[in-house]
Amino acid sequence: MKMLRQIEYKPARVVGGYTDRILKVNLSKQEITIQEPPPDFKNKYVGGRGYALKLIWDGTRQETHYDSPENILVMASGPLGNEPAFPGTGKFIVGTISPLTDTFIDSNIGGHFGPILKRAGFDALAVSGISKKDVVILIDGDAQTISIAAAPAYDEEIDEGALSFGERLLKDVNGGELGDSLAAVTAGKGACNARFGIVNSLSFDVRRKRLRSKQAGRGGTGTVMRYKGLRSIVVRSSLSVVNSNNAIDKEGVRQAGSRLKAVVSKCDTQQLHLSTWGTTGLSEYMDKFHLFPINNYQYGQSPESPKLFAQVFLDKYFSKKIPDGCYYGCNLACAKGSENVELTRGPKAGRIVNIDGPEYETVGAVSCMGIFDPHFVMEYNWYCDEYGIDTISTGVTIGFFMECFQRGFLSADDVGYELTFGNIKAADRLLHEIADGKGFGKIVGQGVARGKKWVAQKYASQNGTSEDAVMAELDKFGMEVKGLEFSMYITKESLAQQGGYGFALKGPQHDEAWLIFIDQVHKELPTLEHKANALKWFPLIRTWFNATGLCKLPWIDVRNPEAASTAEPSKNLPTLAYYVAYLNATTGSNKTLQDVLDDSERLYILQKLVNLRHGKGMRASDQIPWRAMGPAYFNEYEARAEYYDEWLQQQLGDDKVPASPEQRHKLLMEKRIEAYQHLCDIVYQKKGFTSEGIPKRETVEKFGLMDEQARQLLSELGV
Amino acid sequence: MLVSIKFLGMQRLITNTDSIDMPINGNTRVNDALQYVRQQYPVLPLEEGMVLATINLEVASLDRILQDKDTISFLPLIAGG
Repeated sequence: MKMLRQIEYKPARVVGGYTDRILKVNLSKQEITIQEPPPDFKNKYVGGRGYALKLIWDGTRQETHYDSPENILVMASGPLGNEPAFPGTGKFIVGTISPLTDTFIDSNIGGHFGPILKRAGFDALAVSGISKKDVVILIDGDAQTISIAAAPAYDEEIDEGALSFGERLLKDVNGGELGDSLAAVTAGKGACNARFGIVNSLSFDVRRKRLRSKQAGRGGTGTVMRYKGLRSIVVRSSLSVVNSNNAIDKEGVRQAGSRLKAVVSKCDTQQLHLSTWGTTGLSEYMDKFHLFPINNYQYGQSPESPKLFAQVFLDKYFSKKIPDGCYYGCNLACAKGSENVELTRGPKAGRIVNIDGPEYETVGAVSCMGIFDPHFVMEYNWYCDEYGIDTISTGVTIGFFMECFQRGFLSADDVGYELTFGNIKAADRLLHEIADGKGFGKIVGQGVARGKKWVAQKYASQNGTSEDAVMAELDKFGMEVKGLEFSMYITKESLAQQGGYGFALKGPQHDEAWLIFIDQVHKELPTLEHKANALKWFPLIRTWFNATGLCKLPWIDVRNPEAASTAEPSKNLPTLAYYVAYLNATTGSNKTLQDVLDDSERLYILQKLVNLRHGKGMRASDQIPWRAMGPAYFNEYEARAEYYDEWLQQQLGDDKVPASPEQRHKLLMEKRIEAYQHLCDIVYQKKGFTSEGIPKRETVEKFGLMDEQARQLLSELGV
Repeated sequence: MLVSIKFLGMQRLITNTDSIDMPINGNTRVNDALQYVRQQYPVLPLEEGMVLATINLEVASLDRILQDKDTISFLPLIAGG
């Protein structure tokens, strides 16, 4: 490998979860620097998302776009993400200015990369600049060197694939073998051609004796990585994983971890069985409650759905009885995988591959295209990972264009073929066209927000209608907010989750709030006040997980039996107490849960400021498509007419319900749209925002964020 | 009068059936259905505090009286990934 630049360094020791070092690499200048952040940096910004936000707030400008040289690609773990004694550690954050949303995006990702980066001496890595030729970055804590090297050329097939290239590169730098002291992140050729490129995290699984992959899927982080000319980053450290966080109170960490592991062991097998099924188990429950996003979220349920239930994947694909934690010590072990699956479609048909997944989101994305073929799910999963594109955005964008075809906004002449729901051949062809940036895939690879504009222009010019009128129609079913495609849940019957998606600062991804069941099924949020409180509390606690390097599932998807006797069981507070104890034992702090929430709120407000700077922070940016609020079209209403009529009767009283189904549908949608606006008002109030969704000055000052940039921004916005 | 008790996910795997019917009278409650399932399938884990009872897709308390043709499920507590 041709070294372009190399420095020697002495890896900083991890103490209390931090190394207090940030590695900065400028690819334009081929500069490598190590920064020691000021002493209060970690106290204010915690780690993970917080570090990414602060680096981007300070280091980029309003004019910075995803392809600007000054855009920064940050990878950061947190103080808790490096500890096998506690379940669900090992997560890190990839954050940047997004090619989809044009504002801050971050995506959390598992595997060994974050912990090894930490052991190699860094809390975070920040890559800026653009390299003229493709490069890789090598951070070698053992050799005590950091290098920028020319990306090796193996052969075209390997070089184009995120999984294939990563595996070859890891072997290349390790004497021809894979090993658990190394990990890599990679981005494939699809990330060059689509705006929703992903970052793959690759690490060696000693049990399966193969490379495993996890993905930072949302928002196009991989697209930024490839635009920078960065093909891969490899990290190495042979330091022991045991006690590698060097916790201040190791016994406290052990006790907190033991308590959580005991709850997970006892309860997962009585609840969601994530350790057996992974997250695919959700498909059946989503279908039962009309939440499965079939045909671009038109229908929540289908007689064909059982073909995509967990048992199918367990019986046909998943390797059984192998613990599958994505980092050491996690006994929830939900990262399922399959070996020796034959590809039957696409350019690699006939090849036998190993597949990590599918997760529920990937299964949902396939149902979004109206497809119910489990083998297609497996192939779609593998190709998306290999190409380096997001399974969610790919499926939702294809689903959107399928619906454009269904409703007559597109024809076979426009696409080049019949793009109908359930058409596996067409979906498969389009998948590869997206990755190659060819044919109709070049349009689809731009995502739903830009796709809507393209369809509106084309249809208006072909039919002599106004673009605005077409756009108004497409806005009803184009499932994006702020430019990001929805994750895989139908929100029509949960006003709280409509807010969970609409207010999510990164766009409609459920990692800020997933309130559907609490709201729609459990009925724990009966009033707007209840919903608004949940829409403040859950995003804050979930932000904390993304700042500290933790997976949320052992907390949120394994209910502690002790929670049943608390006032709000869905918060699972008895388990959160273990997390706070783990934090204090690791860092030596003495924080309460409220302190943790306050730390998170600082990050939340900072992210809001970034959004405001980039024009995505006001009320208009929180508006959601009609389809997210209810049956946008009459066919959706008809599919559940009895249910919707009953809902309307409850709202209005029997005598006020219109006679005709068309009128009932119209009135129902009016009520839903009105309710969402009321929700906006009350949620902004709870969060300390103006009615336009802008944080008030006192809110920004309360969290010590009123720097010159914030002051100027708020003045410009009239606050 | 009859109600149907549906099994989903791992429950279906353990019971090897999609659903069972249970005869009711005017005073049969959700808790009676829970006890009935426990008797029929002692290996099925249905600890209090770990399951959510629903009738016809809506949450139901254990003391709710069942109606003819109700569909009952005992679900895991799903809170989102």
